[in-house]
Amino acid sequence: MTCQRQRSGDLELYFYDELSPATRAELDDHVVACADCRTALSELHAIRTALASRPDVSAPPAGDWSQFMSRLDSAIAPQRSESPRVVSFVAPPRRRYAEYLAMAALLALVTFSVAVAFRARHVPSAPGAASAVHHSVPATTKDNAAFAAMTEKHFERSKLVVLGLATKDPEGGSPVDWAYERELATSLLDDTRLYRLAAEDRGLDSLAGVMKDLELVLLQTSLTDDKDPATLPQIQRLIKRRDLIEKMDVVTTGL
Amino acid sequence: MSADTDLISRAAGGDASAFQALVERHRTMVYRVAYQFAGNHHDAEDIAQEVFIKVYRSLDRFRQDAQLTSWIYRIVMNACIDHQRRHRLGTNVAAGDEAEYRMLNAPEETPGPEARTYAGELGEVLQLEIGRLPKGQRIVFVMRHYQGMKLGEIAAALGLAEGTVKRQLHAAVHRLREALAEARVTVGGRA
Repeated sequence: MTCQRQRSGDLELYFYDELSPATRAELDDHVVACADCRTALSELHAIRTALASRPDVSAPPAGDWSQFMSRLDSAIAPQRSESPRVVSFVAPPRRRYAEYLAMAALLALVTFSVAVAFRARHVPSAPGAASAVHHSVPATTKDNAAFAAMTEKHFERSKLVVLGLATKDPEGGSPVDWAYERELATSLLDDTRLYRLAAEDRGLDSLAGVMKDLELVLLQTSLTDDKDPATLPQIQRLIKRRDLIEKMDVVTTGL
Repeated sequence: MSADTDLISRAAGGDASAFQALVERHRTMVYRVAYQFAGNHHDAEDIAQEVFIKVYRSLDRFRQDAQLTSWIYRIVMNACIDHQRRHRLGTNVAAGDEAEYRMLNAPEETPGPEARTYAGELGEVLQLEIGRLPKGQRIVFVMRHYQGMKLGEIAAALGLAEGTVKRQLHAAVHRLREALAEARVTVGGRA
């Protein structure tokens, strides 16, 4: 039968030194007389010792916060773009800031251009054609079907990169191959972000969610070091964890 | 005006460097809690990201008279619970993948077999058991044991009654004691 002082939870407070002096003195006396509580206290000390032997993890691997901060910066970028006074805290090149301003201006203008854009069925055809996407993303809520067609094209281009990453042999391949994947990922990143924003504007939550996952994979890819053998398997696991390839297939057919 | 309050005020006004300073002041605490809750770097980073994104989005709603750490703790707790819920809904990583991921992400923190001590092995068992605790017990234990927070502080941060926190802590410790007893038999038997 367990001692009542234990069942009350007082013993943990005694162990963590959270009792008032009077109650603590009372427990001091009790513990001297109660073998059950002495055993429990010794177990609590053993737990503390055992857990103290574990690493105190309070930072990403190797204490490197740079990717964490970059990812955070990327995640809050949409909100930041709504507030022109806020600038990126990872000090991006001026060109990137200018691109955001240009994107904001283009998004404001696409309402006007959407009819023309879709009549022409203009879709970007080359991985590096980011500016074409900027011109062709509509901002109205009336053309979701056309928007879906455009995002499907974007997914087709992106899937080449994602599939390439997913199927790449981490043990094989040359640094040049890996650099190529990173370059493609970088070229698709801004477009993906733009599509995500447009999907969010339209209330297309599923699509926006997949775009967000894609954005994360592309961002990770673009930020990684091709000399680090651990980075590719990490990205491959990320793709797998997010079911990205399957989602990219499903989300467009469901629109 | 405290340093935190000043940073929040400036960050809410659009000062990115103030928000960065805010993140840098609190990221260690957030990451530690997230890691203790999740047990691996990948999920800990996801949780910590979610926390700071929520902080960013809520800057203008933060009450100046409130305690920033309590506010962040509450966000951390919610992020941990949300993350676990989503994890359970199908994005679970296979056990082998997870083990590999942990090994990949924290090679310098995982002692080799030759370096493992008896306490280290018990610690590993207990760490796993912490990961299996119900989320309420887990959060309370992490905040009490690792963060050194008083019961009253935990209760305030989580918006719970102090008695509830006490019961959660007691239940968590009880389970860990059971795990310890079992581990001593297993590990001790091998030693």
